[in-house]
Amino acid sequence: MSLRKQTPSDFLKQIIGRPVVVKLNSGVDYRGVLACLDGYMNIALEQTEEYVNGQLKNKYGDAFIRGNNGNSYSFRYCTL
Amino acid sequence: MAANAVSNPSQLLPLELVDKCIGSRIHIVMKSDKEIVGTLLGFDDFVNMVLEDVTEFEITPEGRRITKLDQILLNGNNITMLVPGGEGPEV
Repeated sequence: MSLRKQTPSDFLKQIIGRPVVVKLNSGVDYRGVLACLDGYMNIALEQTEEYVNGQLKNKYGDAFIRGNNGNSYSFRYCTL
Repeated sequence: MAANAVSNPSQLLPLELVDKCIGSRIHIVMKSDKEIVGTLLGFDDFVNMVLEDVTEFEITPEGRRITKLDQILLNGNNITMLVPGGEGPEV
């Protein structure tokens, strides 16, 4: 467990390229590899899967998620 | 009237309180029926929060719970309240 102080921007630099789960306020999950993101929390994912209520609904090669959704970004380091 | 540049030393500013909480458990209440408990690693001016060892609680009649490990970045947009040292809706 790394318990050093970490700001959100440090954290984001660290996880680019890793598999992530992006959870939107609407309850939809997007799992994919984080390609990049910007200061508005717009993000680009690769090999994306869309989960609604835990059920896989769609797969996208590339996905762009607009930052104003006010979501939470969960980064699991296990394989998807 | 000149602005007072020096804050009253006996005052605790909100972000100072959050800063004191870094490294310990914190309970976060969202605008929606959701609460998050985790260890605070850091935050920024917008109160976006980096948390570790996180448990997510959905406040429904069943009290559904989702546990997430590793780290999350929680968007500060939807945060309503922070409780330092809180354990969440269930003990």
